[in-house]
Amino acid sequence: MFDATNFQPLLARRYTLEVRQQMAWYWQALTIALALLVGLLISAAILVAAGVPAGELLNEFVILTLFDSQSLRAVLFQAAPLIMVGLAGCLAFRARFWNLGLEGQMIWGAIGATAISLFEVGPPSLRLPLMMLCAVLCGLLWALAPALLKLHLKVNEIISTLMLNYIALNFLLHLVYGSWKDPRDSFPYSPQYRAFERLPELFDGFSVAVLLAMLVALFVLWFTGVSRAGLYLRFVDNSPGVARAVGVPVKRVILGTVLLSGALAGLAGFMVTAGQEGRLTNSFYVGYGFSGILIAFLARNQPIAASVVALLVATLFVAGRSLQVFYQIPFSMVQLIQAILVICVASSEFFIRHRIRRIQGGLG
Amino acid sequence: MSMIASWIGNIPDFAVPFALAALGLILMERSGVLALGAEGLLLVGALAGVGASLVTGGATIWALIIAMGAAALVSQLFALMVLVMRINQVIAGLALVFFCQGLTGLLGTLMDWTNRPVSGLSSYALWPLSELPVVGKFFIQNPIVYLTPIIFLLVVWILTRTVLGLRLRAVGENPQAADAAGIPVLAYRCMAIAAGSALIGLAGAYISVLSTKMWIADMAGGRGWIAVALVIFARWSPWKALAGALLFGCIEALIPQMAASGIRLPQYFVFMTPYAVTLGVMIWVAIVSRDNSSQPGALGEPFIREERR
Repeated sequence: MFDATNFQPLLARRYTLEVRQQMAWYWQALTIALALLVGLLISAAILVAAGVPAGELLNEFVILTLFDSQSLRAVLFQAAPLIMVGLAGCLAFRARFWNLGLEGQMIWGAIGATAISLFEVGPPSLRLPLMMLCAVLCGLLWALAPALLKLHLKVNEIISTLMLNYIALNFLLHLVYGSWKDPRDSFPYSPQYRAFERLPELFDGFSVAVLLAMLVALFVLWFTGVSRAGLYLRFVDNSPGVARAVGVPVKRVILGTVLLSGALAGLAGFMVTAGQEGRLTNSFYVGYGFSGILIAFLARNQPIAASVVALLVATLFVAGRSLQVFYQIPFSMVQLIQAILVICVASSEFFIRHRIRRIQGGLG
Repeated sequence: MSMIASWIGNIPDFAVPFALAALGLILMERSGVLALGAEGLLLVGALAGVGASLVTGGATIWALIIAMGAAALVSQLFALMVLVMRINQVIAGLALVFFCQGLTGLLGTLMDWTNRPVSGLSSYALWPLSELPVVGKFFIQNPIVYLTPIIFLLVVWILTRTVLGLRLRAVGENPQAADAAGIPVLAYRCMAIAAGSALIGLAGAYISVLSTKMWIADMAGGRGWIAVALVIFARWSPWKALAGALLFGCIEALIPQMAASGIRLPQYFVFMTPYAVTLGVMIWVAIVSRDNSSQPGALGEPFIREERR
């Protein structure tokens, strides 16, 4: 109904911004879903502009990944290390620790696992568990230094973890271009793992890595939701000052959580080398660090949600690789799409927290 | 002896990107915006500079100006995120870096600008300083090197001696008070982000157009993060940042010298040194100065008028 008393010409309309108290959860979910949709549409537009036919895009992302059992397995397989780094991100962020060193910890995990394989530590039957254990320990130790520096000297962990990434990367290159190079050819990777050093398939192409990822997700769910440390962690996350005042051992809780985060990243490194690559390569880690942060951010640090988001990111990875092969779209496209999704979803928070209201009446 | 001379001659080439990027970051952070996006903006400047050189065919000065404009343009996405959408500045900064990494990687491939040489700028000797023994080569540089101290003087003068700079710092120290005094907080922050990013873009274009003379994907290689650390090390003071940049220039210039002179060190350990030194400097700063008094008071806090405290 047209109401003449309320009518204002477009340019004279005035709007104010109000801070909302609370938005119902389904409206929040709808807002985030809309933001994701907008992000995907922008990404699709960029891909089309980059030369991918629009029809192929739909085919690549939806039909191939969801309705083809082989691609679906590829996505699940790709999801396993992504779930690990996503969970690692969730844990660190819950401890208010910006762990940008996921890639460095992954690299050390992979180096640890490969060392066990190269030097043939332990009997073949125990080799795989030993590699896993070593990967976890290496990842954990690489997270120890920035955690201690942050807790005792207040050294900014964003910078320290990033610098440690570059140091780990150069050490990896030193190994794969140097003494660990496969003697049979001159490519920068280690000799191939033996068959019993690879993560086996359980049935019909369904890798043990997927099962392992699910188990770890359940462990993190227990850790954050049920365990005493998880309870403490919620205190620390909400307000470190209050937590300290009520007697929570804040430093110990943060340290433990960050170490666990590093351990999971190390495990992710093991999953990539022992699962997908079957050897240590010079660039296996590319893209995982940011994906871990993205997954944790989109999942709001919830372990189960992180596993679901990791599946979506895995779809993006798998589709991105085939775009790379068929249309020469560089892998950095995956990074760009992830960044666009983060920006869109982070922006949607604005609409969750604010209300834009037209000022009624008045002359404007 | 000639090795030391050529080492000293190479220092400015490595120091200038650090110096300009750190100066840009200081400008932004003085307005209270935590700027982590330097790594990404360096890449944007680097790609835009090379792209402009290749497209326009050799007008290097224009390429540098276009690179500054491109970085300032992309930084408005960051401004939109932190000023309008009020996104957590750490998340926004990280998203900007990954956005720029993806964008430059994609554009560099699609436009076929990768590994194609550009002309750069010729060097000019600063006579009679260039005739000095040993340090003489320090004074045979391209014009941008000579321009860098002038840019520093200009920015420091604006920050400390003009009303504009006073207001900018007020916005960074106490946005609520600045707002009450009638200073448009968000406009000042937006301006600081654009100006600071233009400087970072220039630093990026320096790396690609003048130093390496080509574009390679992800060529910033962590220099943006080192610049962020440099700002913390310099306690948000431009002159200390310039000194820090010179220190890093010395270290980075040493790496090719050692390779050239035949000293056999494991090269990847040598490549680690800038990052290890950055880490060491961060630890040293943390031990020496425990006070954060020189940090802009409102650094990293969004200004939300409706939630005025």
